[in-house]
Amino acid sequence: MGNGKQTILELDRIVKRYRTKGFFFGAHGQDVIALNEVFIKILRGEIFGLVGESGSGKTTAGRLIVRLEQPDQGKIYLDGRDITGLKGKASKDYSRRVQMIFQDPYQSLNPLLSVFDTISEPLIIHKIGNAEAREDSVWQAMKSVGLSPPHDFAHRYPHQLSGGQRQRVAIAHAMVLKPEFVVADEPTSMLDASMSAQIFNILLEMRRRLKVTFLFITHSLAAARYLCDRIAVMYKGNLMEIGPAEEVLRNPKHPYTQALMDALPKFVHSGGVKRYETLLQAEREVSGYVGCPFFVRCKVARAPKCSREKPPLKKLDDSHSVACFYAEPGIKTRSGGKA
Amino acid sequence: MALLEVEDLTIGYQSQRGFLKAVEGVSFSLDKGRSLGFVGESGCGKTTLGMALMRLLPPNGRIREGRILFDGQDLLEKTDEEMRQVRWQKMAMIFQTAMNALNPVHRVNDQIAEAILTHNPSLGKQVAYKQVEGLSRLVGLSKHRLRDYPHQYSGGMKQRAIIAMALACQPKLIIADEPTTALDVIVQDQILEEIKNIQKEFDISIIFISHDISIVADVSHDIGIMYAGQLVEYGAREEVFESPMHPYTKALLSSYPTLTGEKAQLMPIPGEAPDLIHPPSGCRFFDRCAGARASCRTNPLVWLEITPTHKVFCYQCGRQCGR
Ligand SMILES: Nc1ncnc2c1ncn2[C@@H]1O[C@H](COP(=O)(O)OP(=O)(O)OP(=O)(O)O)[C@@H](O)[C@H]1O
Ligand SMILES: Nc1ncnc2c1ncn2[C@@H]1O[C@H](COP(=O)(O)OP(=O)(O)OP(=O)(O)O)[C@@H](O)[C@H]1O
Ligand code: SF4
Ligand SMILES: [Mg+2]
Ligand SMILES: [Mg+2]
Repeated sequence: MGNGKQTILELDRIVKRYRTKGFFFGAHGQDVIALNEVFIKILRGEIFGLVGESGSGKTTAGRLIVRLEQPDQGKIYLDGRDITGLKGKASKDYSRRVQMIFQDPYQSLNPLLSVFDTISEPLIIHKIGNAEAREDSVWQAMKSVGLSPPHDFAHRYPHQLSGGQRQRVAIAHAMVLKPEFVVADEPTSMLDASMSAQIFNILLEMRRRLKVTFLFITHSLAAARYLCDRIAVMYKGNLMEIGPAEEVLRNPKHPYTQALMDALPKFVHSGGVKRYETLLQAEREVSGYVGCPFFVRCKVARAPKCSREKPPLKKLDDSHSVACFYAEPGIKTRSGGKA
Repeated sequence: MALLEVEDLTIGYQSQRGFLKAVEGVSFSLDKGRSLGFVGESGCGKTTLGMALMRLLPPNGRIREGRILFDGQDLLEKTDEEMRQVRWQKMAMIFQTAMNALNPVHRVNDQIAEAILTHNPSLGKQVAYKQVEGLSRLVGLSKHRLRDYPHQYSGGMKQRAIIAMALACQPKLIIADEPTTALDVIVQDQILEEIKNIQKEFDISIIFISHDISIVADVSHDIGIMYAGQLVEYGAREEVFESPMHPYTKALLSSYPTLTGEKAQLMPIPGEAPDLIHPPSGCRFFDRCAGARASCRTNPLVWLEITPTHKVFCYQCGRQCGR
């Protein structure tokens, strides 16, 4: 992927299914395919964005990476090493190097632990340093996320903090082990614009100073543009488009990405007068088809091909790939709208 | 003539530490068929304002001062019984927690029909159920799904059903509090489109509340920026966006990432909003304002009219204009 950068983490054709209880679907239940042959290589030092609507599989990808769950198929590699069977010391070592920040700061913190105890907990679990060195690390982590002066916050409990402050504690908790790879799952979706901006800037600063690699999960295209070097657009567990953030968002090639761009609130984002109009008003009525995941809503679709075959991810150029039969490099996508 | 005129409204909550002034001295007016959006960060008083207009404040909430003139009538003079005639019939609200507002044990069409019949019992069941179908078409809800229960709906469908309920009595005013915040962009876009279409078709007035400035801008003719319980800037959408005056509005606008134009460094607003039980004197944004001077603390603030359709509540803005 150019620049001579090394892959730090690789998802290799990952499949993850969940069996749901039969509620509406009949007694046997039905599989939800949360991730369907997802293939992503994340480069050392980049902020890689995973964007998509609710239920597209973003959190599932994060949970697999931090080994809260196992894939049904496929492999995950860190620095080229398969992480599936890690045990004992190797497993512990992995959990130090790879951390996750969760979406909801109200639920991810233990209400019974003070800020200091929350942030020092990982150091104790991993038996890092003596008491003094640990205290030092905690102060440093707190300062780096803007919880300062640290002694003002150290002895507070989660309920004595604002949402933004809680999320900063959660970030400090993830960062205190100096991980190399951090999954940040919608870390600001519960926060105000100004607090989100603070958190974004903290993440950028960590990447700059500590060279951490981030997988940043979001449903906000604007946030992805601000933070990410590259992004992948997911839809119902499938990777639809992947490439440099600026390129994908300025020149989206997949009809689904284009539909997302069309749906942005008009007045503020009206700079992109370009309208793609790739979304069908009414969904197609189809059952049990095996084709493109977006076929049901895609206006660009052509009948037998898109409903029978799943489009593979194909390269448009060195860095930009799209899973659609009819996305062509160079060919201008429909740009209706005003002249 | 204005459909709604709010004068000097001050609303607060009794709390353990004292009286919390959630909204203070807010005035605005809204014409028939126009939409007005309120934006501001969490806790600035948006929901409180909406609830007060409906006279649905919780028991510890109180309107301390001001007037609410709606359709020529003073709402604060009305008895609870009289208010029930206005609420839902003439003004309806879509709540921030709307997703849970549907009754889980009744079919969606029964719930909407009941809303119609409660306020217009003489209609008769048949007519009411016909109207439900009309409403569902209007909000883009498939007629075939009307006999479902709420848990069988997606978030977007629930939100459409709630909008249909709000429209059931053909109100003159709808107050929508974060109606799309929990939804995906594509569904959000469809619902905002429905809201705009319905507004045009029936000439309804809308008050739209959100912390997301891009959504508010999408649906509102006029915009009010709120900070710590006060309105600090008010005007036509284009003017507020293209020439924001209040330092808070400017700061707010530069804390949102954008998708167009150059990628600029985001500038979070330093510090925190003031305590609303003991609010500071002078400008409430003082502690966080880059352009503040000592005089902002000591001098009484007045509204400065920049154009007939744009005004700002900032001492320094006034000075710079030489007034
Ligand atoms: N434990 C589980 N059991 C059953 N289904 C699950 C489970 N976890 C996730 N799923 C399903 O897997 C799919 C992907 O879910 P996931 O949480 O990864 O989506 P997401 O992209 O993170 O969505 P959101 O933006 O709402 O957080 C969804 O259909 C979800 O319902
Ligand atoms: N029932 C209540 N009792 C005491 N204080 C309350 C009550 N409801 C709200 N408040 C306080 O009043 C202020 C305004 O709250 P309000 O809910 O109106 O804000 P908002 O602008 O709607 O915020 P958000 O964007 O988070 O919904 C806040 O400081 C809040 O803590
Ligand atoms: S492959 Fe076909 S259905 Fe899928 S996005 Fe492309 S055109 Fe649409
Ligand atoms: Mg998720
Ligand atoms: Mg609110």
